[in-house]
Amino acid sequence: MKIDPDKCTSCLSCIPYCPMNCIAEGDDGTAIDEDECVDCGVCRNVEVCPEEAIYMPAEAFEYPRAIRMQFSDPSVQHPNLKAWGRGTEEAKTNDVTGKFGKGDYGMLFEFGRPGTGARFREIEKITTAICAMGIDILEDNPISGLIADKTTGTIRPEFRDEKILSAILEIRIDDSQLAAVVDKVIPLLDDVDTVVSVGLVSRFDDNDELPVIGALRSLGITPRPNAKINVGLGRPIVE
Amino acid sequence: MSHSLHRFGKPEDLKNDFCIYSRAAKGINRDDCGDKLRRTLEIYLKNDVVNFGSSHAGRNYLSGLKPDEYAKTLDNSYGIIATFADRNAVKGVLAQLKEVALGISVVVSGLIDEVKQIAYEVGLRPHTALLSLGIYGKRSLLPADDVLAVTTMCGHSLVSAALAREVIDKVKKGKLTPEQGARTLARPCPCGIFNTKRCAELLEKQRSTAQ
Ligand code: SF4
Ligand code: SF4
Repeated sequence: MKIDPDKCTSCLSCIPYCPMNCIAEGDDGTAIDEDECVDCGVCRNVEVCPEEAIYMPAEAFEYPRAIRMQFSDPSVQHPNLKAWGRGTEEAKTNDVTGKFGKGDYGMLFEFGRPGTGARFREIEKITTAICAMGIDILEDNPISGLIADKTTGTIRPEFRDEKILSAILEIRIDDSQLAAVVDKVIPLLDDVDTVVSVGLVSRFDDNDELPVIGALRSLGITPRPNAKINVGLGRPIVE
Repeated sequence: MSHSLHRFGKPEDLKNDFCIYSRAAKGINRDDCGDKLRRTLEIYLKNDVVNFGSSHAGRNYLSGLKPDEYAKTLDNSYGIIATFADRNAVKGVLAQLKEVALGISVVVSGLIDEVKQIAYEVGLRPHTALLSLGIYGKRSLLPADDVLAVTTMCGHSLVSAALAREVIDKVKKGKLTPEQGARTLARPCPCGIFNTKRCAELLEKQRSTAQ
């Protein structure tokens, strides 16, 4: 995103809206730090600029920079998914897809969320660690299209330094792999130069309980009390 | 899209914070689901919806998205999400969605025990959960908990910490009412999952503790 210096009056109205905190007033007026900007569009879309000085320059649509808006602006469809979402359907439609059976788990690592943004070189630290464990990164997910080598998990070099608002890495594991993933991957997140929100998809059991909560507790993780729950209205339902 | 998952806050603050997402599945019931989504929107609107939105239109209901115009765009969509601030509204939506039996999946975000209980009350059973295991990595980059409770109501992180701090400050100084502050903060969230009622309550608490 850019600010047109000929239009901007440095009223500073746009500054607080930037989630990356990358708009600032300098000696030459108010400007956007292009390297920190993720092209999320908020500063322009909230329509606070009285001069309509904020615009998306042509270079923001060029490869590889275009990846920024694809991962940051929810109004931009992701080319890997041809959809507006940022991940797979995971739990949302599991009542009809049956993608996750009892004893299967989906794990979601959301880099840069909440509110810090992430560079792909940080995400690569975890994609490579996961591939080294012999676990595949789910296809049909925006990150999978950026991986150069599916056996090693390396990210295509031209994307490594690109910064995005957030990206979700998704894997699928079963009961027997849960402890290994928690023990090996969760500590590695401490070495990533951003925050990572972690989610886990699980089926309820026949008593409408989630046994995985006890399993996670014994591994030192207490899930938050709020969750997303598929209430089984899809048809035909996968029991 | 796990964007209504990681809403941060104390359980008592999350008690009246729900999102309902009706979503068709690729290869199963996604083709021609526009009419089902329009029916869903009608049900949301009848049940005290707080907000909803369209990332494609870049606008939410509270910032001027017109339900009729939004409804026309639903042929190009495969899901519809809305925010509610009251268990009775959620119960009403689920009961009516069950009755009309559209056959598309429905996901409710909220406190696990509360969502399960509401589901039971309308004769539904929970099928699958997406749990939040929390935030890891460089947590020193995160803002204070009161700011995080506000910003995480936009799951795409489009509501900035700086704006939340500015609004909290203005509410404390009496320059904005909690409701005005909540509206300002909801504007950057085009999907409309920013819960302005919960936000106004959080801002009111900040104002009263500051006095
Ligand atoms: S596009 Fe987003 S990240 Fe870039 S300056 Fe605007 S608000 Fe900030
Ligand atoms: S809102 Fe517009 S005029 Fe004001 S500082 Fe930002 S770009 Fe400049």
